[in-house]
Amino acid sequence: MVESSLTASRRRAVVGETRHLLFSVTPGAAWITVFLVLPSLYLMAVAFMTNGPYGLPEMPLSLDAFRQLAGFGFLGWSPGNAYTLLRSLWQTFVSTALVVIVAYPLAYYITTCREKWRPLMLLAVVVPSWTNQVIRTFGWMNLLAPGTPLSDLAESLGLIGPHMGLYPSDFAVTLGLVYNFLPFMVLPLYAAFEKLDVAQVQAAQDLYASPVRAFWHAVFPQTLPGLLAGTVLVAIPAFGMYVIPELLGGGKSMMLGNLVARQFSGGSNWPLGAAGAILMLLATFVGLYAMRRIGRRLGGGEEVVI
Amino acid sequence: MRKRTLNRGLAGFWWLTLAFLYLPLAVVVLFSFNSVNSAAHFADVSLRWYHQLLGNEQILSAFRNSLILAIVSSVIALVIGCLIGYGMYRHRHRKLGWLIVLIYLPIVLPDIVFGISEMAFFVQINRATGLLEPGLGTMIIAHVTFQIPFVALIVYSRFVGLDPTLFEAAKDLYASPFKRALHFLIPTLKPALISAFFLSFTLSIDDFVISFFTAGPESATLPIYIWGAIKKGVTPEINAIASLMIGAVLLAALVSLLFNRPRRR
Repeated sequence: MVESSLTASRRRAVVGETRHLLFSVTPGAAWITVFLVLPSLYLMAVAFMTNGPYGLPEMPLSLDAFRQLAGFGFLGWSPGNAYTLLRSLWQTFVSTALVVIVAYPLAYYITTCREKWRPLMLLAVVVPSWTNQVIRTFGWMNLLAPGTPLSDLAESLGLIGPHMGLYPSDFAVTLGLVYNFLPFMVLPLYAAFEKLDVAQVQAAQDLYASPVRAFWHAVFPQTLPGLLAGTVLVAIPAFGMYVIPELLGGGKSMMLGNLVARQFSGGSNWPLGAAGAILMLLATFVGLYAMRRIGRRLGGGEEVVI
Repeated sequence: MRKRTLNRGLAGFWWLTLAFLYLPLAVVVLFSFNSVNSAAHFADVSLRWYHQLLGNEQILSAFRNSLILAIVSSVIALVIGCLIGYGMYRHRHRKLGWLIVLIYLPIVLPDIVFGISEMAFFVQINRATGLLEPGLGTMIIAHVTFQIPFVALIVYSRFVGLDPTLFEAAKDLYASPFKRALHFLIPTLKPALISAFFLSFTLSIDDFVISFFTAGPESATLPIYIWGAIKKGVTPEINAIASLMIGAVLLAALVSLLFNRPRRR
């Protein structure tokens, strides 16, 4: 019925539009489907296969990989993988919290400066993150290695044993994560502070609110969307980090990303690696979803959408 | 009075954080001029590591690989991404949810999952058919995959910022779609195309994880070479090549600052 109500020319126009849509979108959609969607689906399938003699996945289907990820091997339960998982969560939590603590006053300070300086200040915060991640991390290796001034200082304060050096250690990994992700928190927080409604703060002051109460009721809620956006941008990539724990942890402070990568190179076990990758994906999507939900409830959810 | 102390404290904190941000880079640059092979002790200023760099065939080939990879992948991504961006704009009133999901997928997927699933997939295809031998080819495929979304989104947002009546005017002026593209679309898109190309190029040059997992034995890029050298034991030559890369980034920052400076009449 609807068809017949369309004139011939309009129908031709609809067909033309559809052909246009297919022509413009197909190459890219096909590219991403073939070279990313199919590989990810394959990886998910691998997680449910059995580990073959050469580390390659084989039939039959099983849940062995997930059992191994939880620590159950030939010799019963061992805590190695569980430690790695817990360490990934802990490092993500601590580094995100530290990034917030540093970025919050920093973003506020930039908004109090003269307007003509602000772009330059933001650029100064961002430029280090433009350099290659491997190089930045290498810089920290040089700074924290045994015998360097920082390590000597920590040693004389009794924080570390003699000739230990600050690297490799869990501490070095946390530091590397904070360093790496600081700009990702400063930018959204700066955006939130910049459009802060000052009238609310003045109203709070006029009503004799103490500075702490004024901050908590008039300033903090207004910066919450920026804070959430920053948390998504920091916590999700931090959880899957590979380079920093590999270089600054020196094999002792593995995170999930290293566990996964290792299964595809030296001690091959593709299904176990794939199971770890699924866990990482789950964490990513749960994180994104949770932030969107919270962001919507707060209103101003647009910023939270990456 | 109290406010002033607060501000002074914040200013101090600002400079401290800046020191924190630039310290690791400064150390790399400083030790690239060290005359002895040590990361803890600075003896004398010398350019010997830079001289060694010029004779290092592996570094030169890694540099070449990085450039080829970045240029070729950016050009392919520019063409494909532009088409998607235009399609997304022209058909923005339709339900394109699946397309949006597809476009955001490369952005939200953790690097390590991205790299490993492509590696596993390429390896299996290679075992079955002999195609997709790990090397520059597979790296180009992987890089294009993560560049497409950025190009598409930049082009799309440029279109959204345009006056829709311009498209009608262009339709009246130029009859053939080809002429319309040549005289209207490409000139209006030029700034977006340039920034999309440079973003793709930068993403490609900067990438380590995805390159690392899709690379073959002969196709190491600069970050992969540096990674390998660090893992094998640090040589000061890394400081030299890393310093050059840091210098390039600072130069890019300076250029972007000069171009984006608000112009006064």
